Amino acid sequence: MNGMSLHRKIEENTGLLIFGILLVSAIGGLVQLLPILDQESLETAEANTRPYSAVELAGRDIYIREGCSVCHSQQIRPLIAEVERYGPYSRAGEFVYDRPFLWGSKRTGPDLHRIGGRYSDDWHRIHLLDPRAVVPGSIMPAYPWLARREASAAGDIAAKMSGLRRLGHPYTDEEIADAEAELEGLLEIDVLIAYLQSLGAGYAEEGS
Amino acid sequence: MADMPSAFWSGWISVLTLTSLAGMVWLVWSVYFDRDRGHEQEAGPVWDGNLKEGERPAPMWWFWLLFGSLIFSVVYLMLFPGLGSFAGLLDWSQGSRVAESYDDYEARFAGVRAEIAEMSLAEIQNDTGLMAVAERIFRRECAACHGSEGRGQADMFPNLHDVDWQWGGEEEQIRQSIRSGRNAVMVGWEAVLGEEDIGQVGDYVLSLADGVDEDHQGKAVYDRNCAVCHGADGGGNTLLGASRLSDRIWLYGGESQDIRESLVNGRFGVMPAFDEQRLDDTQLQLILALLVR
Repeated sequence: MNGMSLHRKIEENTGLLIFGILLVSAIGGLVQLLPILDQESLETAEANTRPYSAVELAGRDIYIREGCSVCHSQQIRPLIAEVERYGPYSRAGEFVYDRPFLWGSKRTGPDLHRIGGRYSDDWHRIHLLDPRAVVPGSIMPAYPWLARREASAAGDIAAKMSGLRRLGHPYTDEEIADAEAELEGLLEIDVLIAYLQSLGAGYAEEGS
Repeated sequence: MADMPSAFWSGWISVLTLTSLAGMVWLVWSVYFDRDRGHEQEAGPVWDGNLKEGERPAPMWWFWLLFGSLIFSVVYLMLFPGLGSFAGLLDWSQGSRVAESYDDYEARFAGVRAEIAEMSLAEIQNDTGLMAVAERIFRRECAACHGSEGRGQADMFPNLHDVDWQWGGEEEQIRQSIRSGRNAVMVGWEAVLGEEDIGQVGDYVLSLADGVDEDHQGKAVYDRNCAVCHGADGGGNTLLGASRLSDRIWLYGGESQDIRESLVNGRFGVMPAFDEQRLDDTQLQLILALLVR
């Protein structure tokens, strides 16, 4: 009949109280998370977004292993200063083949979402092995071991690709069968550079 | 808009949001303005003879804080996107904000840009203010490879101050190098020439700065294999990006082992393309003023 009586009813009935607490704490998720699970635009790849090749995927694993995302974000925010510096802002559809996503949360170094094609492979090679050789004031650590290890030692790439296929990445049987051969003879630094050069190509301005 | 939820989820979001808002208004209101409160308290339980529920209301400034934030939420949901697919009365979106920023930016600099477009490179070069801007653009876009002073680095990226322009130093040639990028290809010659010839050709290449030596052992092999691109006198070819070999300027180092390395494994210099997004026409013009002499 009034506020206090309802209050009392809830307070004196543990089951009702638990239900009430669950209901109230679920509202945020029901409003923000549940609809997203069914939102098509978040699952639809941008026109130029494609799954990573075996080589790029292996490079991506090295990017994760070395913790690159600790200092480099991969998300260009829709602000003019970021668009001017890094390129077109990131779209949701560009990340459909990123499992897990590597957006990062901190920029000690610059954003890398559109780094692909900005520098030559040779520049990346020098820069990863000794950042100060090309950027004198850089505080990025050197990663000399990348040039000493075989890329194929990093894990079973074919198994990884089949796993991703189960999650919806459209790899063909042929691509998976050829995956190991593609890594043949490549060092970790080669596949990491291939991954870096693939970044950012997933989105193109309309008409360009 | 493509990113809006479907009609069902839009309704779901709106109903849940508005219901929760109404519920919170009711809760706050009922706690403060329940007329039957005194009666309720009388009937409340008493423990240990004198312990019972207190009845001191929370302070009123707290009420206004809670109620004010609820009113703020309602206003916010009317102005900005939040209630499902309702775009808000301001029609605000992150994308439109960027577009607006660009409109402001273009309006603000349209005059200066038009002026620069009218200027010749020489006029820009005489304007210290514009040249300072050009240097900043250079440091942002070019310095990672060519060095902050443009003197090249890492025995791989060309010095832009010397007279040796692999792809040509004229305005149009530099413009094309920047806009379209360059891919230099010199394949490795080890399989074709063999160890002995590589040594002799390397030696001959190093001697080209002193003029063509007709009697040199490497000359015949050079003329047969290398002169097609680099020229019989080592003058190079800017159309192919074949380096001039007769000027004592060495991109990859001028020691005999550097030359050997080039001959054995080849060289594949890459200059990335800088499109409109990365360097617009005005910025490119300023960079050209910095580079063309």
